[in-house]
Amino acid sequence: MKIKTADLTRTYRIGPSTITAVNEVNLEVNKVTFAAIVGPSGSGKSTLLNLLGLNDCPTSGKIFIDNTDTSLLSGRERRKIRLFRMGFVFQTFNLLPTLNTLENVELPLALAGKFPKGQREKAMRLLGNVGLGNRVYHRPKELSIGEMQRVAIARALANDPEVIIADEPTGELDSKTAKEIIELLFDINRKRETTVIVATHDEKIVEAADTLYAIRDGELRLEN
Amino acid sequence: MRYTTVIKEMNVLFSGQVMVVSKDAIVIQAIPIGGGMLPQNYTETKLKKIGGVERAVPMLFVTPVGIGGIIEPVPVNFSMGIPVESWRLVLGPTPLRGNVGHFPKNESSREVVVGTSLADQYNWIVGKEIMVNHHRLNVTGILDTKLALLTRCIVMPLELAQSVYNYPESVNILTVKPLDGYSQRDLADLIEQNITYVNALTEEERNDMIQPVLAQVETWNLGIQSVIFIMSLILVMTVTIMSISERRRDFATLDAIGAPLSYVFRLVILETALIGVLGSILGIAFGSLAALVLASLYTNIPLAQFFPSIFEIVPPLYMLEIFLAVVAVCCVGGIIPAINATRMRIAEALRAEY
Repeated sequence: MKIKTADLTRTYRIGPSTITAVNEVNLEVNKVTFAAIVGPSGSGKSTLLNLLGLNDCPTSGKIFIDNTDTSLLSGRERRKIRLFRMGFVFQTFNLLPTLNTLENVELPLALAGKFPKGQREKAMRLLGNVGLGNRVYHRPKELSIGEMQRVAIARALANDPEVIIADEPTGELDSKTAKEIIELLFDINRKRETTVIVATHDEKIVEAADTLYAIRDGELRLEN
Repeated sequence: MRYTTVIKEMNVLFSGQVMVVSKDAIVIQAIPIGGGMLPQNYTETKLKKIGGVERAVPMLFVTPVGIGGIIEPVPVNFSMGIPVESWRLVLGPTPLRGNVGHFPKNESSREVVVGTSLADQYNWIVGKEIMVNHHRLNVTGILDTKLALLTRCIVMPLELAQSVYNYPESVNILTVKPLDGYSQRDLADLIEQNITYVNALTEEERNDMIQPVLAQVETWNLGIQSVIFIMSLILVMTVTIMSISERRRDFATLDAIGAPLSYVFRLVILETALIGVLGSILGIAFGSLAALVLASLYTNIPLAQFFPSIFEIVPPLYMLEIFLAVVAVCCVGGIIPAINATRMRIAEALRAEY
């Protein structure tokens, strides 16, 4: 999946003032690229990722996915893209607490209309791939934070997305677990040929990313 | 429910007959629950002179009864005094439980038959001596009937009833059977023309008298139910909105991974419907139990005696109605929260903390 933006801007009104979270951003992420976006807290990383992930609509500017202008898509079509072509990894994992590990991974498969038996087998395989084959019936609160992030990654991979959008995936993790998660993301990028866009502060990601962007006060700059 | 059953049964018991009561009597379905007495012999004689009367049976209907000398605060027990020779005409073929005992043999005896519910409550058996309104009476049989009126009734010879309740030579009701060729209406008119101090009520009139009361009870029930349902609707809506607000990050996650709006909507409605199903089952169980406990407290009839008749107090159809209504209210109450859940701004909600 190729993602391109043109003068992408997102502003918020808070009381009488207007905050520009993302300011005329022009970005291009090609297929099978590992792109990293770095910047201090409040610089607009999460807002930009939400826009790229079609979770939010820009105030002005455009987002193109494989040269399709997403502003022309209906809500239903945007949801379909999120479900079938994108995977999300959040800083705080966002696992559904009432579902066990297996059910959390099965959820996108069920939403995509996969047959129950097929979805179970695939969810089991994905959990095995992220090293959680023995934790499938545990609830999120029974897992360590590293394990929770692995479940979130397995869930993001459920429908074989073309792009993974990860918002500070190592932000809550200790250095050892963070290293494992980073390796997992790079592994996904290389072996599955999945585009990965990561907002991060992590030095290791910054060093190894194919493309590096820096964002400050909503303005994006290509670093390499 | 029990009272309405008793009221309806009264007309079953005296079907096809004209009921003659004093003009100043307070009557429900022609059964006097207060007020005017009638001179027995004088009224009987006057009635027999009227053409169109096949027979007239004088009766004394008393409530409260005063079992053990105690006057119950709520009239749940009844006593009927019937002339011995007319016993079968009033009670029909009602048998005695286990075919044990006999009906009172003469007017001056101290013999009575009692309803099953009374007998079970006070452990009365055939041959037992009981105290009613400070008089010692002998139980000679237990009526084997399911009629709510008769299950709580002490039936005795008319003279004995007049003596026990201190109404000598007086009755408060006469049932009059019309001769063939006479309609109830014609006979009632004749009676009222000839005996100025009585009301003669046909079956139709008796029903007409009670219908407004029953309709009012129904209206009250409907009113109370409507208020409860509206309150429940608001409550379900508020609680669900709060619940969704607390889980907005979960709903945003569902949105972010591409869950269709219809899925999110159905999820919320299903959740409220499930609450409705569980709530109504528990509500019906506890509500029925509460109804029994209240009925027991209200009537002094032991709780255990109500259990076999739980489906008479709270009929299954009524339970089903409540079940469906509660589930419907919960589903309707979930609509606005479900719409809210589908309209969540994902980017903002994803940042929400639990």
